[in-house]
Amino acid sequence: MTDNTIVRISDLTRRFGTFTAVDRVSLTVRRGEIFGFLGANGAGKTTVIRMLCGLLMPSSGAGTVAGYDVRKQPELIKRSIGYMSQKFSLYPDLTGGENLRFYGSAYGLNRSTVDRRVAALSDRLALHGFLDRTAGSLPVGWRQRLALAAAMLHRPEILFLDEPTAGVDPVFRRTFWGTLYELADEGVTVFVTTHYMDEAEYCGRISIMHCGRIIELGKPLELVKEHRAVTLEDMFVSLIESQDQCNA
Amino acid sequence: MHRIRFIVRKEILHILRDVRSLIIVIAMPIMMTFLYGYAINLDIENVTISIVDFDHSRESRDLTGSFYNSPHFSRPKVPVDPLDPESILRSARSSAILYIKPGFGQALGNGEEHTLGMTIDGSDAILAAAVQSYSNVVLRDFLLERVPHGVPVPGIMISPRVFYNPDLKSAHFFVPGLVAILMMMISALLTSITIAKEKETGTMEQLLTAPVRPSEILVGKLLPYILIALLDGILVLVFAKVVFGVPFVGAPLLLLGFGLVYVAAALSIGILISSLVATQQVAMMIALLTTMLPSVMLSGFIFAVKNMPVPLQAVSYLIPARYFVAIIRGIMLKGAGADVLAVHGLGLVVLMASLLLVAGRRFKTRVD
Amino acid sequence: MRRAYLGLIRKEFIQVWRDPKMLGIIFAMPVVQLLLLGYAVNVDVKNITLDVYDFDRSRTSRELVSAMKAGDYFLPTEEAFVREATPVWDLDARFKDGSAEMALIISNGFSSGLARGDSVTVGVLADGADANSARTGLGYCAQIVNRYSRRVTGVSPPVEIRHRFLYNPEAESVNYMVPGIVATLLMMVTVMLTSMAIVRERETGTLEQLMVTPIKVHTLLLGKLTTFAILGLFEATLALTIGVLWFGIPFVGSPLLLFALAGLFLLTTLGMGMFFSTITSTQQQAMFLAWFFAIFAILTSGFFTPISNMPPLIQRITYLNPMRYFMSIIRGIMMKGAGLVDLLPEIGALIVFGAVIFSFSMIRFHKRVG
Repeated sequence: MTDNTIVRISDLTRRFGTFTAVDRVSLTVRRGEIFGFLGANGAGKTTVIRMLCGLLMPSSGAGTVAGYDVRKQPELIKRSIGYMSQKFSLYPDLTGGENLRFYGSAYGLNRSTVDRRVAALSDRLALHGFLDRTAGSLPVGWRQRLALAAAMLHRPEILFLDEPTAGVDPVFRRTFWGTLYELADEGVTVFVTTHYMDEAEYCGRISIMHCGRIIELGKPLELVKEHRAVTLEDMFVSLIESQDQCNA
Repeated sequence: MHRIRFIVRKEILHILRDVRSLIIVIAMPIMMTFLYGYAINLDIENVTISIVDFDHSRESRDLTGSFYNSPHFSRPKVPVDPLDPESILRSARSSAILYIKPGFGQALGNGEEHTLGMTIDGSDAILAAAVQSYSNVVLRDFLLERVPHGVPVPGIMISPRVFYNPDLKSAHFFVPGLVAILMMMISALLTSITIAKEKETGTMEQLLTAPVRPSEILVGKLLPYILIALLDGILVLVFAKVVFGVPFVGAPLLLLGFGLVYVAAALSIGILISSLVATQQVAMMIALLTTMLPSVMLSGFIFAVKNMPVPLQAVSYLIPARYFVAIIRGIMLKGAGADVLAVHGLGLVVLMASLLLVAGRRFKTRVD
Repeated sequence: MRRAYLGLIRKEFIQVWRDPKMLGIIFAMPVVQLLLLGYAVNVDVKNITLDVYDFDRSRTSRELVSAMKAGDYFLPTEEAFVREATPVWDLDARFKDGSAEMALIISNGFSSGLARGDSVTVGVLADGADANSARTGLGYCAQIVNRYSRRVTGVSPPVEIRHRFLYNPEAESVNYMVPGIVATLLMMVTVMLTSMAIVRERETGTLEQLMVTPIKVHTLLLGKLTTFAILGLFEATLALTIGVLWFGIPFVGSPLLLFALAGLFLLTTLGMGMFFSTITSTQQQAMFLAWFFAIFAILTSGFFTPISNMPPLIQRITYLNPMRYFMSIIRGIMMKGAGLVDLLPEIGALIVFGAVIFSFSMIRFHKRVG
């Protein structure tokens, strides 16, 4: 790809039986963008992310992530992305350090590389002292950082974060987003879903999904102006409420 | 009373929705009755025996026929390898090899003495002993029929008579004991799991904030299991009678009485276990190790207690199933009355009382 | 991929080590089961309590009674005093309360009849509630009476069988049971732990995380299966060591062959564990299902009772039970020194089962994940 696009999907659709979870979604994301993915619960956000990560096969439509086709090259996509799910999937009975070492090996990194990167990430994310405790015993905020570290170990080009700050206190959230900005400056693309409107404002561009479709896409402040709302939250709520009910 | 009913109803819903408890309550009894009634069978039948006939006389062929016509023996699927006859024993294709030496038919005709050789696979000692004695029986019957001059009949004959189970069916031995095992399983295993689950999920705490007394909670939780245990017991008994023909000679009410004492003892164990653990899984493991395993091994269900080393015999006195197995066999098969069973009954009552006491005390303190 | 594979194995071992219930299954179970089963399991019928009613009271009858007492088959109780006219069915009070298991009745004309050269009869009663003891007891009785009869009358049947027993010279049931226990342990541990470990990933949500990494599904599975294969073999070795060193059971055949075939057997058990993980959603369900299946497999494997005793229909069903084949294998190798050639049919069956169960479970797992 000579242009700066790192994610390009067109008419991506996913059906489960008679239920259409994602209905002809199209968008492009540029390298180094922080892209926010909004929508009510059940709107289809997680399904889209799963398709982009190579976890789920689209029913129809096409897309590329980091230059690889989502249908034909999911394995190659996986090498270039990092993923942090809603549940911060770390092994609760393993220590932070053991979790990181394990995920490092999962990405094919050798021991010394892993150790080096873990040390660097500990500095960056202030993880020192938390690596020897089991992940299950850590408070939510630290688990979130650990999960982010695990997603970054292999230096992916793009990070998919599915509600990464759910249940985390505001201070932690702020620092987390600080890190995301740093990453974006370094050229890492960040694709994030969130319910927090203040976080949505941190994003470069956002899209709003409803009933499997994208009903709005653009820069946050511009969207607020367009819809003549006062805050992003107002805009979001009135937009969703003005939509028809989803038919199952 | 009213409150107890709600707790009972909740408990029944739990039971119906949990795959585990359904398996224990329905699938297990069915499977175990089926298995112990049909499959676990100590009656030695259809043992594969190879016969190598070097005599090739009419008599030797008749003898071979006698063996295979007997219900105890059956033909092997492969022949004996003349170069390595014992390989058929090593590969377990046959349990014994009978060698009929040349001259057998002739000796028989002349009334001379003759010996046959038999090599038996001794790894299963019971089977081996049975093969030995059955082979003697087949031979003896053969001689009684065949030898023309009349065989000198041994001076002393036995007139055997078997009480209670004249056909010597294994099922009569196992299925009553199985009732004891199943009732223990339902009462102790399930109870320990369900109480532990309330503790684990925190709903116990929730329940206690309601205007319900701890004793009412306990009764409400246990009542369904008592009913299910008794129901399952009765089902197995009906099954035993109808399908396996296990007799029921004694007094059903007496059995019911002892059954309730037994269930109470088992429930106490369940409560005790759940008061000691924090999670369901640990409860299940401990229950399995301390109730099921000893009940199956040390109660006389399969293996005779009196043949065990003394320490194990001592331990068996602490196992409620030991008493109940003796009681249920006594009542069902022999028609034993309360007088005869008093000793076992007393042991069971004493055990139950102590268990109930300990469990009751522990449950109160943990809950408060 | 090799790094991922090794990383997976290391992770699994750490998790097993930190999980008390898994440790319980791995260590407590074998030791408890072995000790309990090794000592409690005793199918030898001995010390049968025998009531003796000797109404003849002659030297011959007393000799017969002594012959019965010799050895440890029978344990005569105090000779009960009963009138000869007592009907036989009244004697069952002693059976009812369990004070006697058998009774021998020698009537008045015993010695006089023998002296005349007649054929005389002694009555033998047995408590049939324990069918096995009764049958064995009657068998012992017959043997002893026949032998004595021959001695007294000087008459013996023309044809006799001379029996020779191979393997298990002390006829100890422990020697027969412990290999069976090793087989059951191997099966239970691998099926239980494998299914629990796979389900646990689903429970904690880490399965999804794993799927996002470049780790291929089969690498993931192989990593887990390798771990539990190692643990299973460790179990078996532990149990065998206890058996040989503590109980002194024989090991006639080749340990190498046994281990190789244990590995083959593991294909089926690991496959079953995998399969169970695809039909359960919590670890507890998995553990339970595994336990349920294990009981069925054990009881129909020929562990307690020979398969030949079972009704033909059930015998046919046991052909589908992989444990049946491994039971033959381990007993064959340990007690009889069976070799590769002797065990070919069992080996073939295990290969077929292993391949089928394993691939089927793999496919199911792939489908479930993808």
